[in-house]
Amino acid sequence: MKLINKLTYWIMGVVFLVTPFTMIISYRSIKSNINKAEITRLRDVTDKVAEQLKAGQPPHQYILDRPITVKEVATMPPVKMQTKNYSFYNAELKRDECRMDVTSYYKINNKVYAVSTYNYVTQGKQIIMGMVYALAWKIGLITLSVLISGRLVSKYILSSFKQTLKSIEQFTLGNKEKLVLPATSTAEFKELNSFLQNMTDRALKEYNAVKEFSENASHEVQTPLAVMRTKLELLSETEINAEQAQLIGDMQYSIEKLVKINRSLLLLTKLNNSEYQTTEKVKFCRIAKDMVRALEPHIEVKGIELRNHIGSNIPLQIHPVLAEILLNNLLGNAIRYNNPNGYIDIILTQHHLTIKNPGLAPEVDPASLFQRFKKSNQCEDSVGLGLSIVQQICAVNNFEVNYSYKNSEHIIRVDFNCETVPQEQTVVAGETFLTKKPAIA
Amino acid sequence: MTVLVLEDNQRLGASIEDFLVREGYICDVVDTYLRARDKLLSVDYDCVLLDIMLPDGNGLDLLKLIKQENIQSAVLIISAKEALDDKIRGLEGGADDYITKPFHLSELHARLRAIYRRKNPMATNANVVSFNEINLNTDTLQAFINGELLDITRKEFDLLMYFIVNKNRVLSKQAIATHLWGDYTDNLDNLDFVYQHVKNLRRKISQLNGTDYIDTVYGLGYRFKEAGV
Repeated sequence: MKLINKLTYWIMGVVFLVTPFTMIISYRSIKSNINKAEITRLRDVTDKVAEQLKAGQPPHQYILDRPITVKEVATMPPVKMQTKNYSFYNAELKRDECRMDVTSYYKINNKVYAVSTYNYVTQGKQIIMGMVYALAWKIGLITLSVLISGRLVSKYILSSFKQTLKSIEQFTLGNKEKLVLPATSTAEFKELNSFLQNMTDRALKEYNAVKEFSENASHEVQTPLAVMRTKLELLSETEINAEQAQLIGDMQYSIEKLVKINRSLLLLTKLNNSEYQTTEKVKFCRIAKDMVRALEPHIEVKGIELRNHIGSNIPLQIHPVLAEILLNNLLGNAIRYNNPNGYIDIILTQHHLTIKNPGLAPEVDPASLFQRFKKSNQCEDSVGLGLSIVQQICAVNNFEVNYSYKNSEHIIRVDFNCETVPQEQTVVAGETFLTKKPAIA
Repeated sequence: MTVLVLEDNQRLGASIEDFLVREGYICDVVDTYLRARDKLLSVDYDCVLLDIMLPDGNGLDLLKLIKQENIQSAVLIISAKEALDDKIRGLEGGADDYITKPFHLSELHARLRAIYRRKNPMATNANVVSFNEINLNTDTLQAFINGELLDITRKEFDLLMYFIVNKNRVLSKQAIATHLWGDYTDNLDNLDFVYQHVKNLRRKISQLNGTDYIDTVYGLGYRFKEAGV
């Protein structure tokens, strides 16, 4: 529920809840004021009558057309003025009436007189009717103005909040850009903005530190690896016997594996950091065709039949390097984990990429194949990061990847349909790792 | 060919020097930015191998200096950083090529030679690499044995070129695989394809009565032997 609706409901709830009480208070106050005014007026009348009595005049003039009665009573009551307010049904007029009686006592010439008079006052019912009528208007106007002004004001007050939300949504650590938030005069939003600013600044700082660390770590690892690799190369040039050659070969093999693991982990780190975001679309079909062509010798050597169903004109929003790595890893697996003289079925449409190949059933849970360093141990040569990388590439591009094993077939399916989030960053396209031009002397 | 090697790791620097000197290069190895700058301003080098991360500076600054001072040396950047932006900055800054650590010395050599050829197109037969009866045309990517066109694939051409540039050296299968397929192929079974490619290349060369210079070094890889088998 929107904040403004919540507030509106709250305000309206309070208004409806408080209104009956205020009505009772108003009613009472109006009624008592009317009565007081009437009593004062009637009291004046009785006073005048008393004065006339005192002066020895007959109170004709007053009694004549007014409901005044003068009675002589035995003793003076403790209260010199008694009032009585009551409603009754007037049978003549056929309506309810409300009457106010006032009786005042005066001591005149050692005689006690009770002077009574009355008048008809506004009935409680009439007051309530009037109040209900006013209330209907009041509630209507309050509701209308709360609804309209609430919306207008909230638009104004919440505009900076909405901008803040937009800024956060577009904020990615990989951008390396600080979060820019709109200025606001609302204390809470100021607090929120400063909190977000501090948080993102700190996150950026720490992200950069981690990134720097992983890059430095890679530097630190790569250099010793380079030393080892080059020294072994030089060692293999010296006079060595077959046994030594075998030892060097094994070391080279292991160093190679280390290099690949390090590279793959770095790639995963970078993918996690969303460093390969792109707004450009690449022709995925073209990359797929190139990749198949590049791997054709591998496919031929293994006697694998290629069933190629790569459609054309399939633009996808993915960094070209990632597209290549994705396809290379998937096709590489299809070749590696294939039966002798098996086949590879590649289906590429606008919506999905499916690669099927026959092979032995995986020895581990299919879901765990996407975990790092998990592999079906049919192939020792594999590093075990290929599918993790595939999954991570799919995650950053909002693709969905699924693996299944049915009818002795490995089936890996990548769905492109997932809604793509627009990314702000552009990356130089066409930079490729895989189809690098070999050096020509 | 004169080469300035700027590498802060002295052991790696020594490896590079060892290798390049054996290949007949004249080689200076320095390990700091300042020494490299002094050398660059006083000696003309054909090529500079530039490490980016240095204890006292950034290799990219040296690249700027080279461009500012209009020094004609070719620049090959060596970096442990694989960050794309580093690579792009290096190449935009005027570097001729980029190689990431850890590299194979044979790969470094191939890159150096390629740069040298590109930088000196006026040299005679600049586009032809010859070895005895074998001629490789780097423009048309054609190979000839005794003047006869050798029917080979692009990968086989690259392989033959790599062998000839690094003749008499033991080339590990890994080095060849990296050269042919790049760093980012997770397929270690590429090594099997190295074997296939070498086998095919040998067969094709011998079909044209070429000498089989390729020698299998047991446990290690291959060597392109000048003396022949």
